[in-house]
Amino acid sequence: MAAVSSARANALLLGVMSFAQLLLIAASVRGSVAASGTAATVGALSRPAASAGQSVSGIVMNVAHFFEDLHSDDVANVTLRREVTRLSGELDRTKELASENERLRRLLTMHEQLAPKSIGASVVTARLGSQSRVILVDRGSTDGVRPDMAVVTWGGAIGRVVSVEKGFARVRLLSDPNSGASGVIARSRAEGMVVGRGGEPMEMIYVPKYADVAVGDRIITSGLDGVFPRGFGLGRVTAVGEPIGATKSIRLEPEVDDRSIEDVLILLEPMGTQLLAGDEPEARP
Amino acid sequence: MIALWAVLGIGLALAFELALGRFAPAATHYVAVMTLPLTTYALRTSQRSSMVVGCASGLLQDFWVEPRLFGLNGLVKTILGWALGGIGARFDLNNFWGRFASGASVHLVDEGLQMMLRRMFGDAVVPVGLGALAIRGVAGGLLTAGVLSIVGKFGTSRRPARQKARRG
Repeated sequence: MAAVSSARANALLLGVMSFAQLLLIAASVRGSVAASGTAATVGALSRPAASAGQSVSGIVMNVAHFFEDLHSDDVANVTLRREVTRLSGELDRTKELASENERLRRLLTMHEQLAPKSIGASVVTARLGSQSRVILVDRGSTDGVRPDMAVVTWGGAIGRVVSVEKGFARVRLLSDPNSGASGVIARSRAEGMVVGRGGEPMEMIYVPKYADVAVGDRIITSGLDGVFPRGFGLGRVTAVGEPIGATKSIRLEPEVDDRSIEDVLILLEPMGTQLLAGDEPEARP
Repeated sequence: MIALWAVLGIGLALAFELALGRFAPAATHYVAVMTLPLTTYALRTSQRSSMVVGCASGLLQDFWVEPRLFGLNGLVKTILGWALGGIGARFDLNNFWGRFASGASVHLVDEGLQMMLRRMFGDAVVPVGLGALAIRGVAGGLLTAGVLSIVGKFGTSRRPARQKARRG
């Protein structure tokens, strides 16, 4: 008898807890103060454990780097390879910026801001699940980070800031199923939308059926989404699907491997969308 | 005292989860470290405590690594704590294969429930391949069995007296 009443009490407790948490999820979807207040309380309570986790991972990383440094030849090799990757990324981007500059100068007599305001950040932790792929970076609202800012690394675009706390920000990676960025094929200028597929390769959708696409083509951000500036690498085409209706979808290998991101750049303001002070047209009399 | 152990266990799990995401992020695709406290409590204590521990660890996970739906992991882990706590109260799962099966099923059901709730709240979901699910099940089962065998060396099970009596 006692067992039956205990089971009923537990079922009742489950109902109450589930209902409360469903309300909490609904509140967080609507951006309610109740959800953010609860989240802040949970965050404050768990901060010591999180700090311990960061310290442990820092120690482990330092030990790993120590052993890595023992093999100096390997290290030199890796450094050189990184430098080559960085320079090739920079070159691609410079080419893209140069052509964009040319077009803008011709059409609008505008200048391009070549040095965007950005801030460097280190990855604190990552959660690379099949339905949600997020990294946590060590820069937050106090550093001027805001939701919807683009996050990039030397290899290319990696994601956008989704929420910000005082000392850190959550970044949703491009491989997350809820992520998307407008992309353009660098060779043929065909446009489309690059979307994440969890642990699977990313896809570029809404590409016109007759667009010129070939395996190996490089895809870069087109800047049309208003988040990522034009010219950051998204990936390379690995397979071109059969057209469905008026469009075809393309599989791509990401430019940046989610599993190896350590340091990132958060773009504090969109690049190439603002006129320099002296370029503003004079008011007509 | 149980509450103190629970706080310690959840804190350790969170620290381990964050550390794993830092130096082995690929592993977070297959193992859910934050399910360990609820599995431990479900197999070693009461159904109620496993629900509460599951809820607390899920909410912590939501705060740190959930981009949009705060409360999602809390809800999923509350349900898992209730279900596994109920099964654990009826059957003796506190042996290697019991722990392995519990860990594997918790990891798989966690994924399924998350997909269902995400779809319910308007998130895009992608199908998960059978290979990835198999790896997740095996990895989760082995991790749970390993951790619970270590936990078993530090304390005795606090099952309700009636169950201990039934076991003889």
